Amino acid sequence: MMEKMIFGRYIPVNSLLHKLDPRSKLCAILIFIFIIFIANNAITYGILAIFTFLALYSSNIPIKFLFNGLKFIFYLIVFTFLLHILFTREGDVLVDFGWLKIYERGLTQGIFISLRFLFLILITSLLTLTTTPIEITDGMESLMKPLRKIHFPVHELALMMSIALRFIPTLMDETDKIMKAQMARGVDFSHGSLKRRAQAIVPLLIPLFISSFKRAEELAVAMEARGYRGGEGRTKYRQLNWRTMDTIVILIVLSLGGILFIFRT
Amino acid sequence: MKIRTIVTNGIVAALYIAVTAVIQPIAFSNIQFRIPEMFNHLVIFNKKYFFGVVIGVFFANLFFSNMLPYDLIFGVFHSIVSLAITLLVTKWMKNIWMKLIANTIIFSFMMFIIAYELKLALGFPFWESWLFTAVGEFVVMAAGAPLMYVIDKRIQFKNKL
Repeated sequence: MMEKMIFGRYIPVNSLLHKLDPRSKLCAILIFIFIIFIANNAITYGILAIFTFLALYSSNIPIKFLFNGLKFIFYLIVFTFLLHILFTREGDVLVDFGWLKIYERGLTQGIFISLRFLFLILITSLLTLTTTPIEITDGMESLMKPLRKIHFPVHELALMMSIALRFIPTLMDETDKIMKAQMARGVDFSHGSLKRRAQAIVPLLIPLFISSFKRAEELAVAMEARGYRGGEGRTKYRQLNWRTMDTIVILIVLSLGGILFIFRT
Repeated sequence: MKIRTIVTNGIVAALYIAVTAVIQPIAFSNIQFRIPEMFNHLVIFNKKYFFGVVIGVFFANLFFSNMLPYDLIFGVFHSIVSLAITLLVTKWMKNIWMKLIANTIIFSFMMFIIAYELKLALGFPFWESWLFTAVGEFVVMAAGAPLMYVIDKRIQFKNKL
């Protein structure tokens, strides 16, 4: 679990999507989230299916990794589908068992909503599968730069995110260690009523907060001692590089929106 | 912004993820609500914890959410709006318990944002979704209020930034 967390969901393979600038991936996904709602018939959902397949194919992500975390999604989709089939009562009756009637609108709505959800989850999963969390942070910092004009602390926010990413594995180890130490003293975290378990985490959270704030204090002192001055004029170790392919990807997603608009009813 | 504020908020965000990843699966695996939601009460002790909590929510959704795009947008938006309303409403309150109660109610009420997310994503009925998600949030925040109060007595969150 610890190793999985260090890298988030990132799968390091060589692919076109891995090489893209995180800013283009963030923008493309944001556009996709909006344009997916244009689809409203079999043709437009077919186009979305082809686009999703091509995007997944170009990521070179092994299928088992892609569908690894989708078990819950599968149950959710089945539940959603059944919900629409059972409770939507519009259009012609397709199946009539007396106690159960399936309506045309219920079936189509169930299929379309389930497909839309699946496509959106698959496409956005590509962001975390092909981009490291630190790249996502850098990309967000760069995209939020215009907000500086309204005195939004963009650099400070990015620094907080970088510090959080750096300390997640450390604090997870620390949490694990304190938890085991308390369990060795007889604290039972997994049994008993909700109230009892809530009380049990107090002796866990107090040392955890104390050690975490101590780390924060030490890091702040170390940064101040080295004369850290963030923001303006500071160079960056990791440079973002927007290439022609990034522009092409944005244009492809925008074109997809146009095509969906043409074929929607 | 002071370096100490930046660093402490980064650590609070990391702590949010650590609690989500380590404590939740062991102590509350059968409960569907997110336990570190009680960190939302940190803004009651010092409003500067705002960024730490929001970043914690962002990364928790990025790493663990099954509904990634929706949770990233609506989940983070819910936290930002609810925290902002809490800061505004509790500005004139003196009693810490009143502030904690107000924060719990605000976060539970604002779950209509998540209910709308579920309606948009999965076509779930809005009012029922709002009721269920609000009850879940209320339980975590109500249970978290005395916990955070006890921890604050030992740690003094206000002085850590």
